Amino acid sequence: MASNIYVMSLKSQCQGIHVDQLELLCKKGCGYYGNPAWQGFCSKFWREEYHRARQKQIQEDWELAERLQWEEEEAFASSQSSQEAPSLTFSKSEEKKTTEKACKVTTVKKFLSASFRVGSKKAEIQEAKAPSPSINRQTKFLKTFHKTGQEIYKQTNIFLEGVHYKKDLSIKEQSECTQDFYHNVAERMQTRGKVPPERVEKIMDQIEKYIMTRLYKCMFCPKTTDDKKDLAIQKRLSALHWITPQMLCVPVNEEIPKVSNVVVKVITDTIEMDSKHEPRDKLACIKITKNEPASADHLLPTLIYILLKGNPQSLQSNIQYITRFCNPSWLMMGEDGYYFTNLCCAVAFIEKLDAQSLNLSQEDFDRYMSGQTSPKKQEPKSCFPDACLDVKQMCKNLDLLSQLNERQERIMNEAKKLEKDLIDWTDGIAKEVQDIMEKYPLEIKPQSQPLAAVDSENVENDKLPPPLPPQVYAG
Amino acid sequence: MAAAGGGAAAGRAYSFKVVLLGEGCVGKTSLVLRYCENKFNDKHITTLQASFLTKKLNIGGKRVNLAIWDTAGQERFHALGPIYYRDSNGAILVYDITDEDSFQKVKNWVKELRKMLGNEICLCIVGNKIDLEKERHVSIQEAESYAESVGAKHYHTSAKQNKGIEELFLDLCKRMIETAQVDERAKGNGSSQPGAARRGVQIIDDEPQAQSGGGGCCSSG
Repeated sequence: MASNIYVMSLKSQCQGIHVDQLELLCKKGCGYYGNPAWQGFCSKFWREEYHRARQKQIQEDWELAERLQWEEEEAFASSQSSQEAPSLTFSKSEEKKTTEKACKVTTVKKFLSASFRVGSKKAEIQEAKAPSPSINRQTKFLKTFHKTGQEIYKQTNIFLEGVHYKKDLSIKEQSECTQDFYHNVAERMQTRGKVPPERVEKIMDQIEKYIMTRLYKCMFCPKTTDDKKDLAIQKRLSALHWITPQMLCVPVNEEIPKVSNVVVKVITDTIEMDSKHEPRDKLACIKITKNEPASADHLLPTLIYILLKGNPQSLQSNIQYITRFCNPSWLMMGEDGYYFTNLCCAVAFIEKLDAQSLNLSQEDFDRYMSGQTSPKKQEPKSCFPDACLDVKQMCKNLDLLSQLNERQERIMNEAKKLEKDLIDWTDGIAKEVQDIMEKYPLEIKPQSQPLAAVDSENVENDKLPPPLPPQVYAG
Repeated sequence: MAAAGGGAAAGRAYSFKVVLLGEGCVGKTSLVLRYCENKFNDKHITTLQASFLTKKLNIGGKRVNLAIWDTAGQERFHALGPIYYRDSNGAILVYDITDEDSFQKVKNWVKELRKMLGNEICLCIVGNKIDLEKERHVSIQEAESYAESVGAKHYHTSAKQNKGIEELFLDLCKRMIETAQVDERAKGNGSSQPGAARRGVQIIDDEPQAQSGGGGCCSSG
């Protein structure tokens, strides 16, 4: 009922602008648009010949098309839009025909049964896998699906087409359009389709996933604003790299290898967030953090610590992307919303962080910020508190190596000293010997004369007979 | 749509967001754990996920989905409060009856919430740990008269002995349903549907305000 009034008010606005389409009004003069495919009747009278529930859906689709067309035309120059509008209208009525044929086969009951929802999801998922096809290919692809679930699928595609025409709009307006679309689809499903709320939620999830996969490139991080902020946050995060878990009172003891491994894994997951396209998937990355601490008293500090250590890329863009294009209902209410809120809080805290919030004195904080000293150096035990076990082992080994090196040098020095000592010793000995030799020179005295004189004094010797010559005796 | 927490059509479940506020170690987490899982741990719970819990209720034929948001109680995170309590339907302000300081914190929270959210939020002031009655430092009379003066309701609970918790949440839910119904009626009279349709967009517009009001929001500025 609510959407009814909303749509009708839009309709009256449309009429004011689309003067050229007045001739398309219903032949019965009811004020609604007629359609050549319906013999010029408006949907209201055409409906009487067909299943009422089915027709309602068609009319809504028609209205949505008109609404989008109106938005397109408003956004563009009038000449351009007047050329495009008829062709668009035509293609849409063509689409309608095909769905109509399909619907004749299926009954109303079937339309409202679960099968159509499954079908629509399948279609969305399949399409989501297709790599950025052009609009033309899209419509062709559409015709291959004759399941009744096409209804939602078609609306989604119309919306996507609309977005392509609205590229010039600011990101804020685009986000508004997306939110409006979510709202309209969900409400239509509930009030017209009588889909139970749980189902609606699931379908909305799929729609969101599909849309966001297709629009990621143009919607994520518009050049003007977000990337500067990304850089600012990244700088801030790296400036605060010195923060230890103790300062934040994080109940994480990284000395235990099991814990530190979990921390490393969570950091990796956080960094991975940037590579995901759908807002929900991005959040899933954050959610893993919850495995660790129990209460919010612990969750938030831990998340802050993880962010500081991981320094994930383009954090701001990711947050903006989520707030802009997520279905607001679960962003505010659900569990994902809670974790997202925590992420926002963590970022806000990091941005505003000062000495007081870390229980540090201002001087200490300034010193750490300027990089003059690091709190890590003061506690040599945890020289790399964020390192995993392997790195720690490496550190230990390096330590050992440097110790070994030291010892080796010492040995070398000792050896050199020993060598020198040895040389000195030999020299000393030699010198000593020399000294002694000098002191007590070795004098070989000549044959002393007195000895001869002893003989010479014996004058009588001459008179002795000559010594007997040696004689050889044979024998 | 569901962001406001109302259940528009009959037969649809109400969804309420309840935020838990209070100083660290007053028993916020224990309280909600006891309520949702009927668990209590004397030592600090380390393995259980307890910062976000949901509970489904049926009150007089009305289905209610309760989403309970725990918040970090440390003083340094106080400024982040507005990000948490934004769009919540109810707030449970917990203090420790043995700790006068924690009651002062509750007063601060009440002031802030009334300033930021007006009377749309249902406030519950909860004196926890009544099993430690002997060590009470906050007088019952003082607490109750204060609660009355700010339009909040006062409850005595013990997460350890599972006292008063069921009543607290049940009562809060009833009050939130009433508020939601009043809200719906007001909306019905106004009948400005396009405005309601754009509700989702408004949430985004709200963010700069939330930032200026409190500790700040990450998403802009």
